[in-house]
Amino acid sequence: MAEFLKADIEKLMDGVLPWPSVQDMLKSPKDLDRFDKYVEIQQSRVAWDEKILLPLTPALFIVASDGERIVKCRCGHEFGDYRINWKLFSLIHVRDDAKSIAEIYRGREAPDAGWTQVREYICPGCGSQLEVEAVPRGCPPDFEFLPDLDTFYREWLGRPLPDEGEFVDKTLDVITTWDE
Amino acid sequence: MNQQSTLSLKERLKKDDQAFLETGCLFGLEHLEQKEQDPGTYEALWHILSNLCNTGWATGCKVSSSPIASEGGDALWALHLPTGEAVCVSRGITAHPGLLADMIKGFINLGYEEHPGFHQGDIFENNDPHYGGIHGPDFDMAMPIFYGDELVAWASAVSHVSDCGAVVPGSIGFMNPDCFSDGLCVSMEKVGEDDRFYPWYEMRVRSRTRTPDWVMGDARGRVAGCITIRERLMEVIDKYGLDVFRSVTREFVEDSRRYAVGRVRTQTVPGRIRKSQFKDLAMKGKRVLLNKQNIDCLFNLPMELEVRADASVHISLRGASGTVPFGQNISPTALKSGLLNGYSHIVGFDMFNSGPTAAWEIEKPPNGSWANPFERDFTASSGVAWAPAVMWMSSLYEVFGRLYQTRGFVEEMAAGAGTTMTAEFSGISQNGVYVAGSTLEQASNGSPARGFADGENSAWCIYTPNADFGNAEITELFYPVLYLGRNIEPDSSGYGRFRGGLGHTAVWMVHGTSGIDYQCGCAGMRSKIVANHGMYGAYPAWPDRPSYAHDTDVQQRIDKQLPLVHERGDPEAPDISAIEARDLQEAAIAPFVTPEPLQNHDLIVHPISGAQSMGDPIDRDPEAVCEDLERGWTRPHIAEEIHGVITQENAEGALEVDQQASQEKRAQIRDARTSRAIPFQDWWRDERKRVLERENMDPAVLEMWRSSMTLTPDYGDELRAFWRLPDDFEF
Repeated sequence: MAEFLKADIEKLMDGVLPWPSVQDMLKSPKDLDRFDKYVEIQQSRVAWDEKILLPLTPALFIVASDGERIVKCRCGHEFGDYRINWKLFSLIHVRDDAKSIAEIYRGREAPDAGWTQVREYICPGCGSQLEVEAVPRGCPPDFEFLPDLDTFYREWLGRPLPDEGEFVDKTLDVITTWDE
Repeated sequence: MNQQSTLSLKERLKKDDQAFLETGCLFGLEHLEQKEQDPGTYEALWHILSNLCNTGWATGCKVSSSPIASEGGDALWALHLPTGEAVCVSRGITAHPGLLADMIKGFINLGYEEHPGFHQGDIFENNDPHYGGIHGPDFDMAMPIFYGDELVAWASAVSHVSDCGAVVPGSIGFMNPDCFSDGLCVSMEKVGEDDRFYPWYEMRVRSRTRTPDWVMGDARGRVAGCITIRERLMEVIDKYGLDVFRSVTREFVEDSRRYAVGRVRTQTVPGRIRKSQFKDLAMKGKRVLLNKQNIDCLFNLPMELEVRADASVHISLRGASGTVPFGQNISPTALKSGLLNGYSHIVGFDMFNSGPTAAWEIEKPPNGSWANPFERDFTASSGVAWAPAVMWMSSLYEVFGRLYQTRGFVEEMAAGAGTTMTAEFSGISQNGVYVAGSTLEQASNGSPARGFADGENSAWCIYTPNADFGNAEITELFYPVLYLGRNIEPDSSGYGRFRGGLGHTAVWMVHGTSGIDYQCGCAGMRSKIVANHGMYGAYPAWPDRPSYAHDTDVQQRIDKQLPLVHERGDPEAPDISAIEARDLQEAAIAPFVTPEPLQNHDLIVHPISGAQSMGDPIDRDPEAVCEDLERGWTRPHIAEEIHGVITQENAEGALEVDQQASQEKRAQIRDARTSRAIPFQDWWRDERKRVLERENMDPAVLEMWRSSMTLTPDYGDELRAFWRLPDDFEF
C-alpha cells in the first residue's frame, strides 16, 4: 500500500499538488490511513475544537458536540443533528423568475423559470454557498448524504463510536413540527 | 473449474448462480488460484487478452464503412466466457459489455445450444430492445469460439450504424412515437454461419435501411473484429494451454467483482445518498410525427444509492416518471449495462468486465416508467433509449465524488457530466448521393471538475472512454457541410471553485447539396432546464440551445467579403444575428428537425456542452479566473459577478488580479447572499402555498409529478409529507 505525506494531501486539497504527484496518487494502491490524515488536516484548518467524525462536504462536517453528532460549518455555524437534512437550518435564496435567473444565466443561457428553480443554500455564519439545486417546483431538497456513522466506525474502521445511535432520516420529524 | 464441463451451458449458468448464492463469489471462486500461484502469467494474460480485444477493435473499425465506426470508433469488441460473462473488452463504447453478456446468456437460456446449436463461424445478433437491446442502431453481435470441439469463449461486437431504417432518417430516433417506428429489427437471431452473413440478412438491410452500404460495411466490420479475436485466441490457448485459459478468464471476472467491492469498502462510507435529476423534452409546436407528440415532457431521473455494511451497493429509481411517446424509453437490461459503463469509470476500472455487476443490485425500476416501459406499454419506443439513462448516470459521478470526499480521496472526486446533443444530416450529399448519419461532435464534451483541478476541455464523453469528435476534414467528406468554426465555448461548464472542462461549438455552412435536414437530436440533453449538479455550491452548466439560419444572405456576404459567423458570441446578441435569413433561430429549444430542408449557405451553430463544476464560485483561485479571461475561456461579467474577481491590465498589457478589489468584491458577495437569503423554514411556508396552488408550474412539470407519484406511491407519500400536503393531493 502507498503512503502519502500529509503535506502532499493538503496540496492536493488546495489544487496545487504537481500533476506527476497527483498521477502517483491516482495510480497507486490507496493509502489506508488517508481518512485519518484527511480528518487531521481538516481539524487543523478550523478554529473550533469539536472532533470531526466525518467530512460531509468540503465546508460541512459531522462533529461530536456534547454527546450529540451535529453538522457544523467550517466557520463554526451549527446546523443540528446530522440525521436531519442540514438545509432545513440554512438560509435559502431561490431564483424562480426570469429576472433573478438572468443574474447568473443571461440571454440564451437562461433556463425556463416555469420548469426549474435555482435554489442557493447559504451558511448563515459565513455566507458560503454550500449547495445549489436546480429542480422543478415541488421537489423536496436533496438530502445528499445520510451516513451510517456507527456501521462505518464499528465495522469498517474497527473502532466503534461511543453512544451509538439509530441510523434513520429524521428530516420529516422536524417538518411535522412547523407551522403552516 | 479447469476441466471441460460435461454440463450444458444452461446447466452451467444455473450452477454458477447457485455457487454465487452460497459463497458470495462468482462461480464459487473463493480462491483465485491462478492469480495466487502464478501472478506473472495471470497479469500477462490479462494484458494479452485485452490487447487481443483492442486488435479486434482496430481491425473491425478499419473494415467498417460508416464514419461513426471508421472515423469515430463508436463500436466495441469483447471476449466472453462460454456462459456469457464479459472477460475483457476493447476500447470504444463501454456501455455495451453488459448488454452483450446478457445477450449471450439469452441465447443460452432460449435453448439455442440445442437448436440451432452453436458452431464455429456462427453469427448471432440482436438489436431489439424488447429482448435486451438498447436501441435499433446498436447492433449487438456474438460468435462462439471453439477450441477443438469445445466452446471455450465468445467474441462479441457492437457498432452504432448510421441508419437502421427508423421512421426518421439517422440513428438518434428521438422522434419515434412507438416501437413500430424503430426500424429494422433483429430479434435474438442467428444471422450467419461459416463467418458469413446469410443472403437474406443482407437483403433485409438493403431493403430496410437508408444507407445499406454503410450498414453492411459496419456488419462486416463487426465480424472481422470477432474473427480477429478468435484467431488470436487460438494462438493464446496453444501457448498457455486450455486449462489455464479456462481458469484465468473466470478469475478475471471474480477478481473484478472483488475489486469493485473492495474499492467501495476502503474508499467510501456506508449510508444513503440521494440525487434528484431531471431532463426535458420540449416538442410542443414543433415538427412531430403524430398528434400525441405535440407535447412537452419532463423526466424525473431520481437516484437513491445505498452503500450497505457489507459494501454492496443498492441503487434505486424510486420516483422515475412515466413513459413518453418518443424514443426515450429504456429497458432495465439496457439501463443496467449503461450503469456498468458509469461504474467502470468511477469504481471498478482496474479490470473492466462483467464482475462489477455482481457487486451491486439495481432495484427494478417502477413498472411503466421510462426505465421499465414494456410491462405496461409494450409498444414504447427505444429509438434513443440512452437519452434519459445517460443523464441519470451522470448523477453517479457526483454521488461517488461525494462519497470519495468523505474518506479523503480527493483525487477520485468528480462532478456531474455534460450532455449529449447530436447533429445528424440526411439528404443529398455533395457527391449527389443520399446520405444519413451523425457527426461525432457530441463525443467530445468537457470532463467533470475534479476535487483538485478543473476538468479537461473537449476531451471526455460519458458513453465512451474513447472520446473523439473526429477530424473536421473527414466530416466534410461525408456530409455536405463546411466548418466555419470549431471553438472552445467560454463558460460552458458552469461556475465553481473548480470548473468542468469546457465544451465546444461547431459552426457549419451547408454546401453542395440540393437540400438536407439538420436533426438536432437528444441523446441526453436539456434545453429548458439546467442539471441538478450544483455540487458543493457550484452553478450548473447552461441549457443546450443551438442556432441556425435558413435561406440566408451568406452568399452575398462572401461575394462582398463581409464577415461570416465563426462562433456563438454574446448570449444576448449572438454572432448569427448579423445574418439576414428567412428563418433565423438564435437560441432554439432542442431537440428538433429543421422544418424545411436546409440549403446551400445556410448556417448551423451547434454547441456541445461542457461538464459540471464543483464548489463555491467565490472560492475559485483568482489567478485561475484571470488565466481563463486571458484565454477567452470566461467572460468579464462572470469573472466579476460570479467569481468576485477584479482584474486590471498591467504595464505590459496583460491582465492581472487586483487582489484588494477582489477581496472586497467577494466580501460584498457574501454579504449580499446572507442579506437576500431567508431562513429555510420561512421559504418552506411560502413555497408550500405555491406548491398547493401549482403556481408557475409548467404542465410538463405537473404531469411529471403526477406520473412519478402514481408509479411509486411511497415516493408520492414522502413528497406530500415534506410539503405537508393533504393525503389525497395530486398535481
